[in-house]
Amino acid sequence: MTERITEVAVGATRTEGGTRTRSYRVGGASALPGMGDAGARPLIALEICDDPALWPVVVLEEVGDLAGDLSGWAKAAEERWGADLVRLVLTSTRRRGFDDPASSGKAVGEVLAATGLPLIVEGSIDPALDTGVFRRCGEAGEGERLLLGTAEAERYRSVAAAALAYGHAVLAQTPIDINLAKQLNILLRETGVPHDRIVIDPYTGALGYGFEYSYSVMERVRTAALAGDADLAMPVISAAQDSLTVREVREAPEGERVETAVQWEFYAAFSAAVAGAGIVCVRHPGTVGMLREAIADLWGGEGWR
Amino acid sequence: MPVVTFLPGYRKARVPQGATVLEAAQKAGLVMNVVCGGQGKCGKCIVRIENGETNFDREKFGVLFAAAELDAGVCLACQTRVFSDARIDVPAQTLVQEQKILVDAQPLDIPVHPSVRKYALALSPPTLDDPSSDLARLLDGVEHAGGPAATKVYAPLEMLRKIPVVLRHGRWRCTATVALVPGGYRLINVEEGGTAARLYGAAVDLGTTTVVAYLWDLAGGRVLSTASNYNRQISCGEDILSRVNYAKKNGTAHLQELAAVSVNTALTAAADAAGIDLEDIYEVMVAGNTVMTHLLLGIDPAYMIAEPYVPVVRRTLSTTAQRLGLSVAPTAGVFTFPAVSNFIGGDIIADILTSGMADQDEVSLLIDIGTNFEAVLGGRDWMLACAGAAGPALEGGEVLFGMRANPGAIERVRVDEATLEPAFETINRVPPVGICGSGLIDLLAGLIRACVIDRTGQINTGIDHPRIRMGRHFPEYVVAREDESGAGKDIVITGHDIRNLIMSKAAVLAACITLMDAAGISHGDLATVFFSGAFGNYIDKENAVTIGLIPEVPLDRVRNLGNGAVTGANQALVSRERRKALDRIARTITYIELNADPGFMDRYTQSCFLPHTDLSLFPTVQRVLEECRLRRGAQWQG
Repeated sequence: MTERITEVAVGATRTEGGTRTRSYRVGGASALPGMGDAGARPLIALEICDDPALWPVVVLEEVGDLAGDLSGWAKAAEERWGADLVRLVLTSTRRRGFDDPASSGKAVGEVLAATGLPLIVEGSIDPALDTGVFRRCGEAGEGERLLLGTAEAERYRSVAAAALAYGHAVLAQTPIDINLAKQLNILLRETGVPHDRIVIDPYTGALGYGFEYSYSVMERVRTAALAGDADLAMPVISAAQDSLTVREVREAPEGERVETAVQWEFYAAFSAAVAGAGIVCVRHPGTVGMLREAIADLWGGEGWR
Repeated sequence: MPVVTFLPGYRKARVPQGATVLEAAQKAGLVMNVVCGGQGKCGKCIVRIENGETNFDREKFGVLFAAAELDAGVCLACQTRVFSDARIDVPAQTLVQEQKILVDAQPLDIPVHPSVRKYALALSPPTLDDPSSDLARLLDGVEHAGGPAATKVYAPLEMLRKIPVVLRHGRWRCTATVALVPGGYRLINVEEGGTAARLYGAAVDLGTTTVVAYLWDLAGGRVLSTASNYNRQISCGEDILSRVNYAKKNGTAHLQELAAVSVNTALTAAADAAGIDLEDIYEVMVAGNTVMTHLLLGIDPAYMIAEPYVPVVRRTLSTTAQRLGLSVAPTAGVFTFPAVSNFIGGDIIADILTSGMADQDEVSLLIDIGTNFEAVLGGRDWMLACAGAAGPALEGGEVLFGMRANPGAIERVRVDEATLEPAFETINRVPPVGICGSGLIDLLAGLIRACVIDRTGQINTGIDHPRIRMGRHFPEYVVAREDESGAGKDIVITGHDIRNLIMSKAAVLAACITLMDAAGISHGDLATVFFSGAFGNYIDKENAVTIGLIPEVPLDRVRNLGNGAVTGANQALVSRERRKALDRIARTITYIELNADPGFMDRYTQSCFLPHTDLSLFPTVQRVLEECRLRRGAQWQG
């Protein structure tokens, strides 16, 4: 195995034409995790949202008033909890009758202003809204090398267009299937998105809810890439988004709920990192610290770059 | 009981309250298109209620029709129940019409050496000095005339009853018919006088949909006539599974009878055309799929469709016409091709026989595509076979304007890469009413070359063009505008249709790749790819490769066998040697159960892409598509 995972630039500092205080090159591994050059340490993204109505209660209880304050929430992600990236989920676009794509652009601008961290934006999931939402988001983050998502096989043109027009990278999500992942990468390539602007989201099921399938796909993607499949040689992002709403968390005894939630999220994210994910996304601030420690422990040696 | 009157023919049927229009139509003798066997899935049994109290779930099936059509009383015959006397209009497209049935067999280049022969004899009458028995006299005569040794010929009781009268009434001039059957030689007829020239045989392809018969002059070694017609079992369901289910519910007797009637109808037509008497047909070779063979023989096929999918017989079988109800000489041998599995039946063995692949050192691939497909890979020493469901899309089912190869079907399409305008040809050159399989494949290949669809088949609605638009439920491409169409409306192909087509072609390709992987060979190792069946005969080879229906091989290595089943039946009819090869071929084949193959789903998903997710398997196609994409350029991108 001599092939290397393509490096994708996320975030742009002033010298790189943006305003971020740091930027990352995700990917670059030429071996399986824990074996030889496993590339950069996995990055931790904290997810925040612009409409907390659809957010896990256990997070809202933790972040309190910040839930309604996008700037504060983003700032805390960086300063209080130590995340590497912020992932802004535009939950407002999921509301029935949403018709204000300008607000999505504004939310992106607000977060960019509040933090120096590179930003992942997850926009609408409705083809009817996509064009407007992604254009506004792309525009608001021009030059900042956002990671813009989510492109799916049925709706990838709007995301790709916005990423191409404003210089962002694309999150390419497929439903836990290595072949579909490869197909979407080919579709994106044929739309003009270069390889080094694609991050694979193989979709991550929560622990106990299909996580092992996701794990195996992440492993297979990495193995195929290292064996020379250029259409799969992109870094992987993992977000086990349902972790905090699984039955085990909802029905945990009052006093153990937060602990259960954090553990549930932690183990999926950490396992995904072990499977080769270059970015892991979590929602509970408590998970971030645990992940930092665990990842430092494991990657602290010669694996660090 | 309500009386249902069908227009325009004023055919009537009396049915119980709540019977479906389809049931009424069957009772009235109308043969409707029921691709799905009456489950409301295929949307082909369209009728219009003129009056009467009927019940049709407009909500559930609304996706199939325009609002105006629903208001006009259009509905599906299989899903509409009748509660009072009714008048129902049946459009021509709904009825099974004369379609392009593939009759053409390949010319035979094998010596004619049939298993049945006639011997014209002039025997000396017995005397007190020469008192040998009638039978011995007859069989000695046969032996002296060059036939098999008298001791080796078995004469059944019905012949013994016939011999004394025929010999004496014919003044000792007679003609004996001797057949070589699996048990040895058998006397199957004795006639007065010299009838040796009147020795005919029939080769029959008993298909799920159609029956094709070739009538041979076995004495002269030439084809006299051919005929074809529909398999009458269509009225019990269009596909194999619905037939088996019908047999489960109602027993096999009716289906056996319909199979025999279907064969008889074809044979009668062929005999009429040749001006011969059916009773002079002394052998019938039948190549049919496993279920059709079982049904013709009156064997219950029910156990074949459930795990572990075992047929009742796997070897060649010989019986008599009388026992099956075939209206040829009652003692004529009826010989059925062997099967390998529930899905690799006698028709495929016939295809293999026709292709000659079992005699070659090189490895070839043989594919028979229909609603179900079969694939065989190998050569002289080994063969692997598998089968699966391709779905009806490639034959026009589950496609909004899909249709069988009837008049008015668009059978050829080109899409201009610059203007995105289509140019098409229809069967019989009448205004188009739908698109048949070959047209659909052309369309798919044309649309991907023109970059109207992406590799998953999604129509790019971002292209500003009058033929590309959002339909009621799915994006669509207009193949024929209302003013170009004979259907009274725009003929379109929708994103949903394309998806169904891709899933169908993916099943075929994934099966081919599964066989190739199992044998450890790549597409470059294939000496020939044989297409068998009607479908293969009409499709454009290049387009079939472009969409990834078959593995990429140089086009001159793709060969159509035509109707391989009937050609194989012809060969086995006229040549003892070819017939002997059948059981050997059947034994050489190893059947791979795709359901049990853990890699199949992966290969299937990989194949659900145009042409395939691993583009290195299609280097030429990839280059062509890349060029097309560059030509289209940034015209519409973004």
